[in-house]
Amino acid sequence: MTVNKFLRTIFLVDLLQGLALTFRYQAPKEIYTEQYPLQRPNVAERYRGAPRLNVNPDTNETLCIACDLCALACPEHLIVVTSERNEKTRRKELTTFTYDLSRCMFCGLCEDACPTDALELTQDFELAAYTREGAIWDRQTLEQGPQPTVYKK
Amino acid sequence: MKEVLKSEQNASAVKHLELAPEAERPYLDSDELILNMGPQHPSTHGVLRVILKLDGEKVMGTECVIGYLHRGVEKIAEHRTYAMFNPYVDRMDYVAAVSNGLGYCESVEKLLNIEAPPRAQYIRVILTELNRMASHMLWLGTHALDIGAITPLFYTFRDREEILKIFEKYCGARLTTHAFRIGGCLYETYDGFEDEVRKFAKFVAPKLDEYETLLTTNRIWVERTKGVGILSGDDCKALGVTGPVLRASGVKWDLRKAQPYSSYQDFDFEIPVGTNGDTYDRYLVRIAEMRQSLRIIGQAVDKLPEGPVMAKVPKVLKPPVGEVYHSIEAPKGELGYFIVSDGSTQPYRVRVRPPSFVNLQALDKMVRGALVADVVAVIGTLDIVLGEVDR
Amino acid sequence: MPQWLQSTVDYVTKPNSMTPGWYADPIAGMIWALVYILIIFGGVSLVVMAMNWLERKALAHIQVRLGPMRVGPHGLLQPIADAIKLFIKEDIIPDGADKVVFWLAPVAVVMTAFTVYIVVPFGPQHAVTDMNIGLLFMLGVGSLSVLGIIMAGWASNSHYPLMGSLRSSAQMVSYEIAMGMAVVSAVLMTSFAGGGIYGTGGASATGGTLSMIGIVQAQAQQGTWFVFKFFPLGLLAFFIFAVAMVAETNRAPFDLPEAESELVAGFHTEYSGLRWSLFMLGEYAAMVAVSSIAVTLWLGGWMRPFQSLHGPNVEIPHYWSGGAIDLAAALVPAAIFFLLAFFTFIGVVRMPKHPIFRVQTAGLAAFGLALGAIGLVLLAPPVRDRVQDIFWFVLKVAVFMYLYIWYRGTFPRYRFDQLMHLGWKFMIPMGIAVLILTGALGVMAQ
Repeated sequence: MTVNKFLRTIFLVDLLQGLALTFRYQAPKEIYTEQYPLQRPNVAERYRGAPRLNVNPDTNETLCIACDLCALACPEHLIVVTSERNEKTRRKELTTFTYDLSRCMFCGLCEDACPTDALELTQDFELAAYTREGAIWDRQTLEQGPQPTVYKK
Repeated sequence: MKEVLKSEQNASAVKHLELAPEAERPYLDSDELILNMGPQHPSTHGVLRVILKLDGEKVMGTECVIGYLHRGVEKIAEHRTYAMFNPYVDRMDYVAAVSNGLGYCESVEKLLNIEAPPRAQYIRVILTELNRMASHMLWLGTHALDIGAITPLFYTFRDREEILKIFEKYCGARLTTHAFRIGGCLYETYDGFEDEVRKFAKFVAPKLDEYETLLTTNRIWVERTKGVGILSGDDCKALGVTGPVLRASGVKWDLRKAQPYSSYQDFDFEIPVGTNGDTYDRYLVRIAEMRQSLRIIGQAVDKLPEGPVMAKVPKVLKPPVGEVYHSIEAPKGELGYFIVSDGSTQPYRVRVRPPSFVNLQALDKMVRGALVADVVAVIGTLDIVLGEVDR
Repeated sequence: MPQWLQSTVDYVTKPNSMTPGWYADPIAGMIWALVYILIIFGGVSLVVMAMNWLERKALAHIQVRLGPMRVGPHGLLQPIADAIKLFIKEDIIPDGADKVVFWLAPVAVVMTAFTVYIVVPFGPQHAVTDMNIGLLFMLGVGSLSVLGIIMAGWASNSHYPLMGSLRSSAQMVSYEIAMGMAVVSAVLMTSFAGGGIYGTGGASATGGTLSMIGIVQAQAQQGTWFVFKFFPLGLLAFFIFAVAMVAETNRAPFDLPEAESELVAGFHTEYSGLRWSLFMLGEYAAMVAVSSIAVTLWLGGWMRPFQSLHGPNVEIPHYWSGGAIDLAAALVPAAIFFLLAFFTFIGVVRMPKHPIFRVQTAGLAAFGLALGAIGLVLLAPPVRDRVQDIFWFVLKVAVFMYLYIWYRGTFPRYRFDQLMHLGWKFMIPMGIAVLILTGALGVMAQ
């Protein structure tokens, strides 16, 4: 062993370097924790979170044309779209739209498939429900978004 | 101690862990103990059951019982279209989801005989190398935790957060990214992608030095990992072990250089190779790989070409009848996809060659004669993810 | 009355060689001893709770996270919550366990860990008693905790705890030998007559002592802490003891028997609730006990640093002599409490302004005010003078406690055979060498 290595061994240089590093990290500015309910994370724009059925902001009509492409694209087959044909405009109109969030992978294939930007995966990630049925969202929940109870404490 | 072998299942699983013949037994003739490192264990990275046959403290033989995380992914593939199956592959090696996606997309592209445009390939390289770093960081943290150093876990996870933030901004999810599509990438890079990647590269390089300060020269770490779990190069080749384990045993084989895919031939990087094939070398090889990944990321971000990010792919994918095997260098080893197509929209068979599954076979060879504490270190150093082993 | 009864009564009621010298009268002596014992018992329990909090917070900060923040401001009430939780947990006894031994094991560990405190010297007259074999008593009773660990592993009737307890006891016994070598070389130093770091005045006939208070007084007399005596030798002996004491108390990097990643939790796997908390209590109390041995033997016990720099009056205690340096040193306890109060008020200012945190902010401010009040009280001359010895002793032990936590956060752990190799093949030969060299150097007449 060379002299340098010998000296480093008996003077525990490697251990002291490790100790110095961990000592330095105790400064409060190094703390990486976000205290969750008060500090909410900055979620990216493209984040695939809760689904939402968009409506036209001017007319408040749904943008969904009931083409069923999202249901066909979903790997888990958890979207059920029903529609009825409107005789006057001779187009399909959306009646019910069921989305089963308990089986959803949040893969985004339904969002990619939608031709009218009606179905969108938003940045909402707080999706807990008390029952299994609560995780199956109907058209109204999809349009308004989940309304979680805001607790005071 | 034999009450561990209560059920028949246990007995049949260990029936071929026979006792050594009389002449080879230690003179103390202590009873050989069957120890079950059960599915729930703080350090078998997932639900892996290892049945150890111990003689005192030395391991005489092992048996791995897997399947606790089997989800039938390959069967699911037979009932989904090619594009629909893409999100499922992320869930196999959930730590390195981008690599899984890359392997699958490239295999299907090979089947369809199309090539992703250069910009898409560069974006794929950047994300895959970032994912390699994330996977190695997670490996480092958990491996150090098994050996007893409890702080590197938090440091590596903190740095991994930065990578996951980039993923989230790019494709919308941190862990199960579903980043690539068949034919290229769906998403164009977001504004500020290059700047953020460069900032990350500058941020993380001193952090790698910090991990090395804490571990590489630390005498306790060296004593715990040097000479532990030695696997020779020939054994690696015989068992089919690939990835950093193979490279640490002295064999210079990396699919990114040997069979370049996704424009890896455009980049200048080295393949770190170890000498002894012990745990310490595997640690050094993975740290060196992280640094090489930073090099690749730097070059790719600088040379990012303009152009489309998606090739011309038909809306309904119906590949011609045939089969293809394509493998990539995932962080854990050679990840291969064998896809058999019968001409319809759904594959006939998708077989995944998971690197962790094949690497796990080497466990028995590596721990013969070692102590129980080493078994934990060796399982850690093989870098297995049970999602991949069991699929 | 019969002779044996008479001599027993005499032993209890009349002064004899075992009566602490400063108690005027044996009955009063016993009552005071009882008071001191209660103070120490409460003090050690409080210290253990504080250690619990400090460990979680300091380890968390090393790991770039926050640690407990919810229960009380910055987690200050967390140990109380943990204690309550452990008390009300269900007491699970494994099926085939030997009930008596199972019950007895934590009791044995805690008893031995607490009994050693009767000789720990907080000051020249601040100890429960001053046995003339105090050091031997501490080491001997401390070793009895190994028995408790073996009982725990055996009574659990499960192979993980059994393996863990055997490993733990083997480790503790081997490192006790290394500890013993280091301790003997320090005791040897007490018998030297020469003063100063390299003073080799030969052995004095009356110097050597095993009494804890006597050892510190020998350091005062020789004018140097034993860690500096014969320069590398004292340091080496201290170093051996420092490593051996970490191994003795089963703490990182020697905590393989308790390592979660292998044997789940070693010998206390099957213990839950109050019984487990007794083991933890015993472990922390043992940590403080061996740290106090280290402080007493090498770091000058209750002496302040640079005791040789003192005012014109040379009698001990120096702070009564009124010199400037002594006064400055005497203000250090108050200064430290003011510093702690200052940090607390910084914490108060940085608390989130949300209404949920009003109670916590108020509590933290009250805590800061209490610390400041203690600092003010410590400024008053009567309190200031009396508290000096205790303060310096506790400060040095606190530094050791922090070191324990720091090691845990930094180092990986040794494998068991490497640990034993280190103990037997490295620590013990080094300890013997240090002992021989110390003895040789010490008896050389000038």
